[in-house]
Amino acid sequence: MSYYDIDDILADASKFPCRFNYDIPGLGYLEGNAGKEIRKNAKVELPLWLARILAIVGGDAGLNDEDALPFVELMQPEMFSPKVLNAIKSGPVTLDVHSINSHFYALAIKWATLFNDRDLIEVLNYMLLERCQEINNHASSVQLENVGRGGSQGTFMLTLDEFEKVLYKDSHESCKDTKKWVIRK
Amino acid sequence: MYGDLGSKLVLEAKRAQQLNRSSGAEQLPMFQDELIRNIIKEVGQLSKSAEYLTAQQEETGFQDKVARCQYFVTLLCIERNKRCLLAYQKLRSDALDTFTWNRNGIDPISSLNAAHQGSANLSHHEQEYLKEYAQLVTDMKSGDYTDIDLSGSLTPPSDVFIDVRVLKDAGEIQTEYGVFNLIKDSQFFVRQADVERLIQQGYLQKL
Repeated sequence: MSYYDIDDILADASKFPCRFNYDIPGLGYLEGNAGKEIRKNAKVELPLWLARILAIVGGDAGLNDEDALPFVELMQPEMFSPKVLNAIKSGPVTLDVHSINSHFYALAIKWATLFNDRDLIEVLNYMLLERCQEINNHASSVQLENVGRGGSQGTFMLTLDEFEKVLYKDSHESCKDTKKWVIRK
Repeated sequence: MYGDLGSKLVLEAKRAQQLNRSSGAEQLPMFQDELIRNIIKEVGQLSKSAEYLTAQQEETGFQDKVARCQYFVTLLCIERNKRCLLAYQKLRSDALDTFTWNRNGIDPISSLNAAHQGSANLSHHEQEYLKEYAQLVTDMKSGDYTDIDLSGSLTPPSDVFIDVRVLKDAGEIQTEYGVFNLIKDSQFFVRQADVERLIQQGYLQKL
């Protein structure tokens, strides 16, 4: 996840629901009405690049306990709700990750880092492992007639998220090239 | 809100990346002049409002949370725009670098003209950059490493002699073993090292 990573930048643009802890005038454009103030407890969808920092910095911790609240509070987004996590636990392979969010893994990693969420990471590990076996199956089944043309397009391919697509493409390329080399021998 | 234009630019970059990967040929879509100018305009507005906020703070004299939050949000928006712009430009310059290495031996600008409908897809600065990078590559090749053709093919040579077919007329070329007259659709049995460059340039096809 480098600074110039296109996928990372796109993942950072996903919106997360947040709640403001303070009245802040002049920030109404975050809500869609410029020039107005933003009210305390207002629910706003903020992109992650903004919400991540605002959820960390805030009032001075030195003054008193009330002021130590960060500017915004991140709320549990739909994509990490128990419903989704249960769906992952029950059958990672048949899950349509792409429809949940096309940058699911990247965002889950960011989220788990932000909140030290061990449970989420465990679920992710399991999910990645299960889905990787399927990805590997798809990637290594190279039909000889199809070498040169694009890969096979199954329904499973449509459920991959961006990270898995890269994984699939790389392993598919490597299988294809190896096979090509073996035949031409 | 702020930053949406940047996302649009990065989406464009992603499309270019995929185009590059799928077709294999070095192709760069049009430089997003308009979009980038709008983003820079947005950054200008943001920095103006940041200056305004600092001035206001100095006037009132106290640094409260509210002002800090406004200032933070403004700065973050600027930072985000900067990241989008840099990532877009980095992707393009990487493509240009690859282009320079792959198409070496020929003047990159003129070969770019041949490959595209002209180098109009590049911005003025990119053309300048391409020219200077090509110069750097040439300098490196003519330095300590003259024995090796650094921009040569990366596929390990497996045969000394190969069959080639001429795809387009190239006229006469001089090799260690004599002169070939490359006429379209003729076939030769030649040393691979002699014709490597011509294969790269697309005059010959390896059989």
